[in-house]
Amino acid sequence: MTIAAEFVGVTQRFGDFTAVDGIDLEIPEGKLTTLLGPSGCGKTTSLRMLAGYSLPTAGTIKIHGVDSTTLPPEKRGLGMVFQSYALFPHMTVAQNVAYGLKIRKVGQKEIAARVSETLDLVGLGHLSASKPKKLSGGQQQRVALARAIAIRPRLLLLDEPLSNLDARLRVQMRAEIRRIQSETGLTVVLVTHDQDEALEMSDLMVLMKSGRIMQSGSPREVFANPANRFVADFLGYENFFTDKTGIFRTVRPEHLTLGAGDGERLDATVVSTAYRGVDLLVTLEAVDGAGQTVRLVADVRNGAAVEPGTRTTVTADAAHLVTLAAKE
Amino acid sequence: MRRPVAATLAVLGYLIMIVPILFVVATAFSAGRTLRFPPEGFSLQWFEAAVTYDPFMESLVSSLYLAIGATALALLLGVPATIAIHRGKIPGRGLVEGLFLSPLIVPELVVGLALYQQLMIGFGLDNLTTLLLGHTALLLPYAVRVTGASLALADPAVEEAARGLGASPVRAFLTVTLPLLRPGIFSAALLGLVTSFNNVPLSLLLQDREFRTLPVTMLDYVQQSYNPRIAAMATIILAATVVIAVIAERTVGFAKIFGGINR
Amino acid sequence: MSRKTALLLLPGLAFLAIGFLVPAVAMLVAPPGAETAAVFTRFGEMLVDPYELRIIGRTVALGLIVTALCVGLGFPIAYLLARSTSRWGGVLLALAIFPLLLSNVVRTFGWLVLLGANGAIGKLLTSTGLADEAPQLLYTPLAIVLGLTQLFLPLAIISCYSAVAQIDPGLDDAARGLGAGRTRTFWTVVVPLALPGIVVAATLVFAGSVTAYTTPYLLGGSGQRMLATQLFSYASVSVGWAAASATALIMTILVFLISGLSSLAGRKGATT
Repeated sequence: MTIAAEFVGVTQRFGDFTAVDGIDLEIPEGKLTTLLGPSGCGKTTSLRMLAGYSLPTAGTIKIHGVDSTTLPPEKRGLGMVFQSYALFPHMTVAQNVAYGLKIRKVGQKEIAARVSETLDLVGLGHLSASKPKKLSGGQQQRVALARAIAIRPRLLLLDEPLSNLDARLRVQMRAEIRRIQSETGLTVVLVTHDQDEALEMSDLMVLMKSGRIMQSGSPREVFANPANRFVADFLGYENFFTDKTGIFRTVRPEHLTLGAGDGERLDATVVSTAYRGVDLLVTLEAVDGAGQTVRLVADVRNGAAVEPGTRTTVTADAAHLVTLAAKE
Repeated sequence: MRRPVAATLAVLGYLIMIVPILFVVATAFSAGRTLRFPPEGFSLQWFEAAVTYDPFMESLVSSLYLAIGATALALLLGVPATIAIHRGKIPGRGLVEGLFLSPLIVPELVVGLALYQQLMIGFGLDNLTTLLLGHTALLLPYAVRVTGASLALADPAVEEAARGLGASPVRAFLTVTLPLLRPGIFSAALLGLVTSFNNVPLSLLLQDREFRTLPVTMLDYVQQSYNPRIAAMATIILAATVVIAVIAERTVGFAKIFGGINR
Repeated sequence: MSRKTALLLLPGLAFLAIGFLVPAVAMLVAPPGAETAAVFTRFGEMLVDPYELRIIGRTVALGLIVTALCVGLGFPIAYLLARSTSRWGGVLLALAIFPLLLSNVVRTFGWLVLLGANGAIGKLLTSTGLADEAPQLLYTPLAIVLGLTQLFLPLAIISCYSAVAQIDPGLDDAARGLGAGRTRTFWTVVVPLALPGIVVAATLVFAGSVTAYTTPYLLGGSGQRMLATQLFSYASVSVGWAAASATALIMTILVFLISGLSSLAGRKGATT
């Protein structure tokens, strides 16, 4: 695996607040890496340090093996798509895309060719003469993407690129970005707080919390084997309990079934139910192996209605039961 | 410094804005008899000389009277007009608002000349009345524009809501709309007082022995005598302006006050 | 229009008419003791009189210099203030706005102390040996330019500041990321986007400079007459109402001209 960029012991402090706390991370070449986490976890700060907009308090940032920690952004040759898109309102779509090429003193003809090629890649060839104001959010997003790609960046950095789009467009753009990434072979770093987006798009998924990396790996690895309670929680695990042998475990709601079965069994009382059409969410209370009262959620499909107050046995499916290293 | 050129220009700009003011203050505390630098010694004698100098004190009182009178009149005439412009259905609303703002675009000295020539000389009006008329006309744009900015921000539906709850139109206005306008009226009043008090060009031709404004009196004084008394008077005005600026900043904020007029 | 609306509007309009509109028009067509066309005749004469032309020329030239200085110094200040994240930004902004509340007489007076015969700058030049004797600084065009720049710089700063503050700082970041250095970012992104504010600033400063009275009176003396001081002397020593009114007309035309040009520029900027 070739390393495109590397964080070595990188820390960022703003006054008393530590935004990024000594992270080490390798960004693989030609892959899509996502930095995932709740707001304030340090993902955007990390991206801005990689782009050169913010100087780390400590540590080193290498790009293609070269220490680039203090290199100004204009010298890094990275393409960045901002959450707000940051399109130049006084320039047309084509002028926006050409901006970085002009600075690189690319010839007029070459600029024209690359602008139209890049706009075709994002499907906006017909809007090259428009001003950004006249475009929809999704179109502006594509222009921002085209502008960043046109300079043939060493890395493409995307800061929450889809968060300002409506739900349907967002799902569509995930595939679009994936397609562009595979067509261009670009190394992409994407920052997001949306776990579905990260799971769907990433080659490498990096989960962050309070300025630290909680876990990194492929989406399959991380999803199936969350390293700790935070990661599990963030990825939608809702049932946390200590089993009879004193081990802290978790299971997703769809793998908790009402009734006795193969797996970890608990005696529980139904607290409430919520009918959602395709499934029924059943909230229960149980006393776990450590003697603690825990709240459990079962996602039941094709099951009969149950009344609150019903006492029942629930089973956490053995095949999907995850052992957590720490309670945190 | 990461932007050396911009920073150098900025420092130069601040020097030009601030240094002359500092020199006025330094000179005011001089113990010497003439305006020179460095001042000879330290004393408060020129402050005493300023506050016991009748032409300064009389014109100070005149200026205050004029400023308060013109501001009150401008608000009394301007606020109802603003309400009519924003809430009433008037044909050619832009034109009416433009009329109220028109004193802003004609040079004040020109307005002063017109009033002097036409009202004082041509019509025989006394100078106090003419000054009051002129200053009020000058402040009307401030009253209309600054309170208009507050009114534009207020939702007309709140007055309707008050009516729906049983308030009469007058009561709805007094209890709902007027309180919403208060910051705008306050800003306009502050701006009006300061503008009228400091005015020279409009007042210049409208002076007579009985009623003179302070800035014009000070201009005349410089022409006749060249001593720190004038610096002391200027320093007193500076101190009072600082107090007004602090009040402005604490209550409505500088930016709001100037945001209203500088569109 | 309802009767209520009319009642709210009419007192203000009446006052405006008596206190401003009617006298302003009457001044042009009916100066006391002169014929109706006197002002316009005098106006025509002034436009070919070398003495008057010199005053008009000086007024316009100094106005242009002051405008260039105020924009050239005010824009960098506005830019640094708008982009500043430090606590001092607010203090410096207040310091830039404060002079707007302060009397012009007080502000201009400081230059007398600085530039006068016994002034600080003369002292500085002679004591450091840069000049053998204090040069004549007061009552020169330089003094007027300095005084007017001090007077109108705050106005330029707030106009530019509100324009720069509206520009998303993310645009600076985007330009930098695409390879533009600070200087290039400033000229290709910040300045074009702040242009409407710059036009407003230039208009206000120019209109203010060509009509200012206090500064040319205190710092220019009788040797450096500008339109405003000339108007006053016509009106007070009564060379004739027609001359005063005609000078007023020239001043007003200058102001209208620059306002017209700027709104034309603004309209053109909005459509492209």
